[in-house]
Amino acid sequence: MVKDLIFTDREAEFLRELVRQKVDFMIVGLSAAALQGAPVVTQDVALWFRDLTDPGIERALKKVRGSYVPPAGMNPPMFAGKSVNLFDIVVHMHGLETFEEEIEHCLRIPLGRLKVPVLSLERIIKSKEATGRRKDQLVLPVLSDALAAIREQHRRNKSGA
Amino acid sequence: MSKNAYYSLARKETVLPNSIIAIAGRLGVKPSSFTDEASLEADKFTSLLEELERVLSRHKQADRENVRHTLLLLQEKPIERLRRALTRGQRFDFHRSRG
Repeated sequence: MVKDLIFTDREAEFLRELVRQKVDFMIVGLSAAALQGAPVVTQDVALWFRDLTDPGIERALKKVRGSYVPPAGMNPPMFAGKSVNLFDIVVHMHGLETFEEEIEHCLRIPLGRLKVPVLSLERIIKSKEATGRRKDQLVLPVLSDALAAIREQHRRNKSGA
Repeated sequence: MSKNAYYSLARKETVLPNSIIAIAGRLGVKPSSFTDEASLEADKFTSLLEELERVLSRHKQADRENVRHTLLLLQEKPIERLRRALTRGQRFDFHRSRG
């Protein structure tokens, strides 16, 4: 059943529009870790934006019939609409440098036809170590083991073994 | 299939093309090794296990299952890895409805 598929063209279209609108953003958190091969589960795709007032975000949302819901009380800023329900907004990453510094070292991972900026697994681990939240502590061993396996495979591919 | 075609094939020792049989003979392997998907899967699995042991030998503290699952996921496209993570993650979210 196509309508039940998770992360279809509907969601990819929003990312494509963000790239097209030259919005500075990157995928962070466990979805970023999953893209790199870590065996984790997550409920959303966290997007870290340099500047939430970037007009490109509004234009991208308009293209996919989504809208921006500003923070209110205890509720953080959110996106609303079928194409963007899956995305979470991040404005600060614990334990990391500024967005400008982190984006310099991010990975560009193909997601269908487009390449999207993704925070590297090393930096995801660094951030999760810094938050100290229980759920982050629990996933850290999995992320570290995944990083070891990925590095080994890269090393092996580089040496042509 | 016509009766003639059926009996013609049934009389043959093998239905593999002669070219496959010739190549296999030259390489010194069984002709079935070119057609047996199960053996290809077994070969892939064996090399994954070798890679697993190699990683674990260099990272003694690493959990075998974490490494094995990572190596399996690395064989998939990034978008498929993400879909797997989201599908499993959302399955346990009973309070969220998605359209």
